Amino acid sequence: MASSQHVLLSPAELAYLHASLSLTPPIRPDGRTPIQFRPLSAETGILPGTNGSARICFADGTEAIVGVKADVERTAQRPGEETVFLEGGAGDDEDDQEGETKEGVDKRKGDASWVEMTVEIPGLRDDDSGTAFLAAMLSEALLADGEFVKRLWINRRFHWKLYLDIILISPPLSYPLPLLSLTTHLALLSTRLPRLKSEGDEDPFFDDDWAAAPYLFPRPAHTTTTTTTTTTRPPITLLVMAVGNNIIFDPSKEELAVADVALAVSVAGSTAETGKGEAEEAGRRLRLLSVRTIDPPSRLTPPGIANAANTAYGASNGAVGTQKMLEARTAEAEAVEGVWRAPRGGAKRMVLGALVQKVLERGGVVDEVLDALEGVELG
Amino acid sequence: MPITILAPKPSRHINDPEQDVSSDSGSDADVDGDVPMTSLRPPKRARLTTTDMVTPGEVITDDPQWMRGHGTYVTPTITAIVSSVAGTVSRTNKLLSVRPLRARYTPEVGDLVVGRIVEVQAKRWRVDVGSTQLAGLPLSAINLPGGILRKRTETDELQIRTFFAEGDLLVAEVQQLFGDGGAVLHTRSLKYGKLRNGVFVAVSGVGGGGGVVRSRRQVWTMDAANGAGQIDVVLGVNGYVWISKHVETPEAEAGKAAGITNMEESVSTTMYSSQNDRIEVETMREIARLRGVVTALVENGLRVDEDMVVRGYHEAVEMAMVSTEGPDDIYLGGERGEQLAAALRGA
Repeated sequence: MASSQHVLLSPAELAYLHASLSLTPPIRPDGRTPIQFRPLSAETGILPGTNGSARICFADGTEAIVGVKADVERTAQRPGEETVFLEGGAGDDEDDQEGETKEGVDKRKGDASWVEMTVEIPGLRDDDSGTAFLAAMLSEALLADGEFVKRLWINRRFHWKLYLDIILISPPLSYPLPLLSLTTHLALLSTRLPRLKSEGDEDPFFDDDWAAAPYLFPRPAHTTTTTTTTTTRPPITLLVMAVGNNIIFDPSKEELAVADVALAVSVAGSTAETGKGEAEEAGRRLRLLSVRTIDPPSRLTPPGIANAANTAYGASNGAVGTQKMLEARTAEAEAVEGVWRAPRGGAKRMVLGALVQKVLERGGVVDEVLDALEGVELG
Repeated sequence: MPITILAPKPSRHINDPEQDVSSDSGSDADVDGDVPMTSLRPPKRARLTTTDMVTPGEVITDDPQWMRGHGTYVTPTITAIVSSVAGTVSRTNKLLSVRPLRARYTPEVGDLVVGRIVEVQAKRWRVDVGSTQLAGLPLSAINLPGGILRKRTETDELQIRTFFAEGDLLVAEVQQLFGDGGAVLHTRSLKYGKLRNGVFVAVSGVGGGGGVVRSRRQVWTMDAANGAGQIDVVLGVNGYVWISKHVETPEAEAGKAAGITNMEESVSTTMYSSQNDRIEVETMREIARLRGVVTALVENGLRVDEDMVVRGYHEAVEMAMVSTEGPDDIYLGGERGEQLAAALRGA
């Protein structure tokens, strides 16, 4: 459970927001539909000193930059593992380029320590629990299935070490998880690693022509061969919340403040493309990587006071005041329309299930988001 | 269409939007100390000319003929004029001043502001009004419940949270200023008090002609479209905006009948209520549309006042009429907002 930041809203505002978001269809304060994201502008390749970088900003000025840098690092050899001797190893090693399963066996191995992620948010210490949770959630999505780190494998003695630096430039106007995740996704899409020239388990030697450097996540090649190629994409983490039975994507700060339950759902998509004129019958396969509950700030909000229990309401004097105080204690149990009460108890299991199902829906939001991100020009 | 991703817009020249900025992007890549990467790849953004924009600490001139104005300071050792804010340099005869790009609200006596309680002290509240400092609201500057104008008592001091608690929104007037720019507020009028039945939107800190400007009327009631009844809009001078359903209180009616003298007596039965009235779906939808109009105005650098908001609202209603989703479509972000702003600029 990660907690989002505290927001200060009055009970009347919270009651209004909750009422308007509970309607069917919900009326969001900024007029979006429940599945609509805030419009954002994105660009890649903004930092010339990195292997890949991206910048995304919202119209309200929230802006994030991600830079990806790669280093060659010697893989730690553990005794007992297939110990590598250069002479023996080089001979029977076939050329292992980015094709994942060559002759059915994937010899590449990865380790979670090959990726180092730091998140920086202005106004928060880097060891703040919020920042630490954000970094943990983002790296968890990347490392969950172990497929990503395999891409960093060079040979049995060396690997790439990837440093992801995620910086939120503006103060966090809303819970920045989706923004940081989308920016990381774009940065990884634009990441290129130098082309390997050496073979086998030699010390790696790279092509110094940057134009020839392949992408870490190769773009789908529109070939006319009949082979089935699978293109995988970096994961994305979406923030989804529920108010009543309404499921709302990309909540703003105010919306999150009245959420009954909020989830961070990480999803990876891979497209199985069969060439030769066949329609894309397989489509995109979505895989659920992780689900985390976010502690919505709604639970910490103060309750509203009903008029019946408000000593400052109406023309009252001291005696009536104490009378009302007593009434207030008894009236606390039942809900009054128009009075804010913080949600109590845990999330309903049905709602949690519906949230995850909505995210994984075929042709749903995630598909559109991934398509839109893929449409961003890599520069 | 759940998501729209746009390419970033080229930055516009601050002073002169018509000026073609793409002409100076090719050759002077060294202006901000960059390595000349421009030869390798085309520049994404046209660079600003550095003549007009200054950042804090930047020396504007060391020529002694200039006088320093707002947004600048002079160092004691050298007589250069240095900028203290980020903004554009403006010259008036021999006076040099810097107009900040973004600025906080500077209170003035008589301003109508919307504020949020952030702290409750023994005899006063501390209110966030978007200024550099928190404003103070003394217990003696509010209308106490109980009808007649009365002196505050210890009971009131003990019950200070029943009037305003942390997080509560209120509309108030600046009564007094301190020398350091801090403000003291008061709510001693029928018009002021706690806010409910609506939504809040902050558009403070907008420079360059946008945002809320001081005008004749900061508070008005307007008729909403689609049978939504009447909506109140409060534009705080500090850039905090409150949009709510118009509620005709019986007390206000009675106050009208009773005349101006005993208005205060009937004032505050609903003043400290934090319970919302029943609000119809249509009203909620139009409130959200109005909120969208205000944010669209700000995002497109237009001023926010009664005239613009009302015109923008009518324009938005008509845009929704012709849109594919019908009149219930209230989304005004992104391209819709630009469309709205263009219509308002043209009119």
